[in-house]
Amino acid sequence: MPAPFRIVFEQRAETPKYLSALVPLISVLAALVAGALFLTATGYSAMDTYKNMLDDGFLTYRGITETLGLSTVLICTGIAAAFSFQMNLYNIGGEGQLYLGMIGAAWAGLALGPHLPSFVMIPLVLIIGSLAGALWIFVPAFVRARLGTSEIVTTLLLTYVASSLLKHFINTPNSFFRAKNVAFPQGRNVADSAALSPIGDTRLYPTFFVVVALALFLYWLVKKTEFGYRIQVIADSPRAAHYAGVNANKTTIAVMLMSGALAGLGGATLIVGPFARLDQGITLLGYGYAGIVVAALARNNFAGIIVSGILFAGLRVGGEKLQISTDTPKHIGVMMQGAILLFALGGEAFRRYKIRAVRMKAVAQ
Amino acid sequence: MSNTSHEVASGPYHSGGAAPSALSAHSVSKRFPGVLANDSVDFDIQPGEVHTLLGENGAGKSTLAAMLCGLYQPDSGYIARNGQRVALSSPRAGLQHGIAMVHQHFRLVDRFTVAENVILGSRNLSFVLDRRSINERVSEVAESYGLPIDPTATVGDLSVGQRQRVEIVKALYQGAEILLLDEPTAVLVPAEVEKLFENVHAMTQAGKSIVFISHKLGEVVEISDRVTVLRGGKVTGHVSGRGATDTKDLARLMVGRDINLGTQRASHPTGHEVLQIRDLSLNVNGVNVLSNISFNVHEGEMVGIAGVAGNGQKELADTIAGLLSPTSGSISIGGATATDRGPIHARELGLAYVPEDRLGMGLVPSMSILDNLLLTRDRHIVVDRASVRPEATRLIEQFEIKANGPDHLARKLSGGNAQKVLLARELSGGRTATKLLVVCSPTRGLDVGAIETVRRLLDDARSAGQAILLISEDLDEIMSLADRILVLYRGSIAHETPGETAQIATVGAAMAGLTTGVNG
Amino acid sequence: MNSNIWLLSFADSVAIATTLILAALGALFTERAGVLNLGIEGMLLTSAITSFLVADSTGSVWAGLLLGIILGAVLAAIHALLTVVLRANQIVSGLALVIFGTGLANFLGKPAEGKTIKTTIEPMSFGPLSDIPGIGPVVFGQDIITYVALAIAVLASWFLFRTRAGLEVRATGDDPATVDAQGLSVATIRIRYTLLGGALVGFGGAFHMLGQSAAWHLEATTNGVGWIALSLVVFAGWRPIRLIFGAILFGFTLQLPFTLQAEQITFIPSALMPMLPYLATLIALIALSRPSSRNILGAPKALGIPFVRDER
Repeated sequence: MPAPFRIVFEQRAETPKYLSALVPLISVLAALVAGALFLTATGYSAMDTYKNMLDDGFLTYRGITETLGLSTVLICTGIAAAFSFQMNLYNIGGEGQLYLGMIGAAWAGLALGPHLPSFVMIPLVLIIGSLAGALWIFVPAFVRARLGTSEIVTTLLLTYVASSLLKHFINTPNSFFRAKNVAFPQGRNVADSAALSPIGDTRLYPTFFVVVALALFLYWLVKKTEFGYRIQVIADSPRAAHYAGVNANKTTIAVMLMSGALAGLGGATLIVGPFARLDQGITLLGYGYAGIVVAALARNNFAGIIVSGILFAGLRVGGEKLQISTDTPKHIGVMMQGAILLFALGGEAFRRYKIRAVRMKAVAQ
Repeated sequence: MSNTSHEVASGPYHSGGAAPSALSAHSVSKRFPGVLANDSVDFDIQPGEVHTLLGENGAGKSTLAAMLCGLYQPDSGYIARNGQRVALSSPRAGLQHGIAMVHQHFRLVDRFTVAENVILGSRNLSFVLDRRSINERVSEVAESYGLPIDPTATVGDLSVGQRQRVEIVKALYQGAEILLLDEPTAVLVPAEVEKLFENVHAMTQAGKSIVFISHKLGEVVEISDRVTVLRGGKVTGHVSGRGATDTKDLARLMVGRDINLGTQRASHPTGHEVLQIRDLSLNVNGVNVLSNISFNVHEGEMVGIAGVAGNGQKELADTIAGLLSPTSGSISIGGATATDRGPIHARELGLAYVPEDRLGMGLVPSMSILDNLLLTRDRHIVVDRASVRPEATRLIEQFEIKANGPDHLARKLSGGNAQKVLLARELSGGRTATKLLVVCSPTRGLDVGAIETVRRLLDDARSAGQAILLISEDLDEIMSLADRILVLYRGSIAHETPGETAQIATVGAAMAGLTTGVNG
Repeated sequence: MNSNIWLLSFADSVAIATTLILAALGALFTERAGVLNLGIEGMLLTSAITSFLVADSTGSVWAGLLLGIILGAVLAAIHALLTVVLRANQIVSGLALVIFGTGLANFLGKPAEGKTIKTTIEPMSFGPLSDIPGIGPVVFGQDIITYVALAIAVLASWFLFRTRAGLEVRATGDDPATVDAQGLSVATIRIRYTLLGGALVGFGGAFHMLGQSAAWHLEATTNGVGWIALSLVVFAGWRPIRLIFGAILFGFTLQLPFTLQAEQITFIPSALMPMLPYLATLIALIALSRPSSRNILGAPKALGIPFVRDER
């Protein structure tokens, strides 16, 4: 017996503006509802959990400044992911490029910091961190452009390599990066000239504003420049690019290097900001992976990434506090990130299609 | 408007007495967003009959065929098989009722063998496949209708005609009593068409019914027992009897008015050589795609390249446009060398190129008309859209493009309008004024109105002194437009003839590789 | 050089290879039907912790295995719903699954942090055969799941290339429009094999926990095995039998750091050793994407492309 209903997808000729805003919003709400059911099922109080997360992530002075502080790195990895995603390149190794950004920035802060003043050092550290991130994606970018090797797996595999490298620099006795005369292996603090101080009594660093400005600049770059035009042509139809004489290989490499550099910049903001040294705790935080979610939820829109970056930062800050104040595992924050993205992906279908259930016509035999 | 639908309708609900039709549609309607594709259409076919659905692109014949085989379901009306109303909820249900469709774009898995393709989807096979007995069965079915084919050959290696044969064998193997052939001759050379018609006769002799879908009047008259003409989703005429009809009448029923697709061939003198090709060869992965091609195109001249798809036409166009590097030989445009200098250089020499693949190669689907105009032009570091906007608006008007304005997205244009945007961009010149226009299959898939416009635009460009290289698989188009015709067969020029004195039989034979030589 | 260590390490390679075979077979079935599921790593983790918790609370490894398999299929069902039914981007959906699965596993695993499971899957004994010096422990000293995994791989090859249903799966991955025209439901086939693939990945994750590591450690439990499994499918050219050999090779590289350490081979700093398997995989992937070898590989042509029937 066939089903009495058939699901019919009708491509929308024009997506109403309100839907583009409404769908992500409803997706987030739906994910929260699903999360509440899950929390209740596993024996936690959903209301308390959400209330605490909301308070600690967004509504208190301490919470919101910490959220904005954390969003700095998430916006970085978000625009890093989006920059490649918009060209249908999937750099999902932002995590590893972020480690390299930290390594590069820490090197600059340790090696050059003592000799240069702060106004030179801070930009220099950020630039060297970005270059290190770009360096880490060079091989995947090159083989993707030349041989067509899937960048998805190569960038990801290099994350595990980067993680080993980071641990090596911290753990190896006599390592340049390792703090001396400390029993437990840990990174050495960068020179003072390479470290920013937070704003007031918060944990928000001025790099936040730099990163927001950068996101807006990229928004303009993609919408208004020839480089952005080229990216759009290649993303939509590589054959049209070939036809028009647009060099897709060069652009592929350029875009991937920039993506790596942005993730590296994220790592560098941690060095001039809250970390000030190499810390292998970063491998447990997954800021690079979170960037993928941040980008996808904003549908690779650079202005939207500022919003989704702050949203996810709040979820994590709220989650962290939650584990301290109650016994709810902080991983609820990461889990909710994944859930929100899954719901947003599902919601996307409603934005693109009119979905209707159609009753199958009864047939007289 | 004459609508003869009620005369056609037969079956248990409408008339008594007469033998039930093998398959019939009773005032079926189908609506797609924005279009009523079929409007109360009636249709029927008897066993052993060839019944043609005639109509131009977009007339609704493919939609009707899709409903007859179960791919779509009618919004209203119904389908009957042997007089019994049936619900064809899927192509599988259609097959269970002995109805099979042979699609214009073959539905075959290239990597599979012939036999694997034939049995794909069959339910009456054991779970574990016994290759030997399957191969035997497939050969048996194929030969019983005079369609010999090697069941172990890989489909990807077969010619177009052979693939079509696989499709037909597949339908017969699955027990089809009624075969719907969707534009089956569109991809065949004249000799293959003859062979196909023989097979069709063999099948009708065996009691099969053939629904033949076409817009080519000549062959319709040759093959059909009956013809149903569709226009704008409605039946506009219904004609019986093989060869009894004048093609002109059918054409009027199909289009709704008298048409003239022919153009005045250039009687004006042609100027000096714009495109010069010398000993051009192209080797791709060890295969000689083009071998030693030499020809010229002059100012104000249109040279037509005829040939069956896959004989090197696309590669020839791409090589001239600088998209492929030739293995040897030279190309010059307007006297300057363009050999392997890339597409931008070729355009700077005055090349304009309308590729066969409009949406995806010629145009970027997700971009606006405005942005698409910028594709082959000089763009500044910060793209200056404001200065191009007036021109975009002017071109939309001049080329009669149906669009909401310069911001209309390319993918939302109809086929004809997309082609007009492409022509507008290429003819209006980008980096320099256009001297040489290379066009591939400019009218494929367009409706008659758009075909007329596109041909007029090409004609105007020729009159304005541009050199035109027209590459098309539509032999009629080349015969009626080109001043000179070259036939490309396996990457070589197999035949050359002036357009005025060209004989369709000679050109067709050259396309099939039967003759070689240069004629006058 | 201690030959015993190398022999034991080879036996260990086979054990690691078992997880890889199961996870990669899961990916292979999914991809043969044309669906790219990058979520393997998240699915492995979720199944691992589920099997741990269930086995720990019920005392039955078999109950743990079963629930692990089910969880793998459930996560795959999310992917199938999003990508096949709702036509979402397969890559992003897979990545979302990795993040969701990782979060979920760590959330559920909080109480189990650092715990070791009491009952594990024991190696089988073939009596005297297992004691044959040299090949004994390698060939006859594995646990039952390893033999089951090998059997599944052989069965998968037979299924894909010798049966009617296998023909339909391969056609769906290569040319869904053709399958659709045959009146077969592309969506049904894709959902079915995405779920089957998920169940196999879940099986792999559960085995990894119950047969191998036996302890839950935050964040480090599967350590990228899911990503290596995805590379392995490419390496094996989407063929189950080749996949067995690839898995043993990759399994060997994965445990190589431990062997080298045990052998006290120190020309590579110990902290850098863990990167070897990932570098080896990377190099293998790059080597395989040379244009000359791409044709031989035979990736499903419609892999990762949502199927939408062309409705005018």
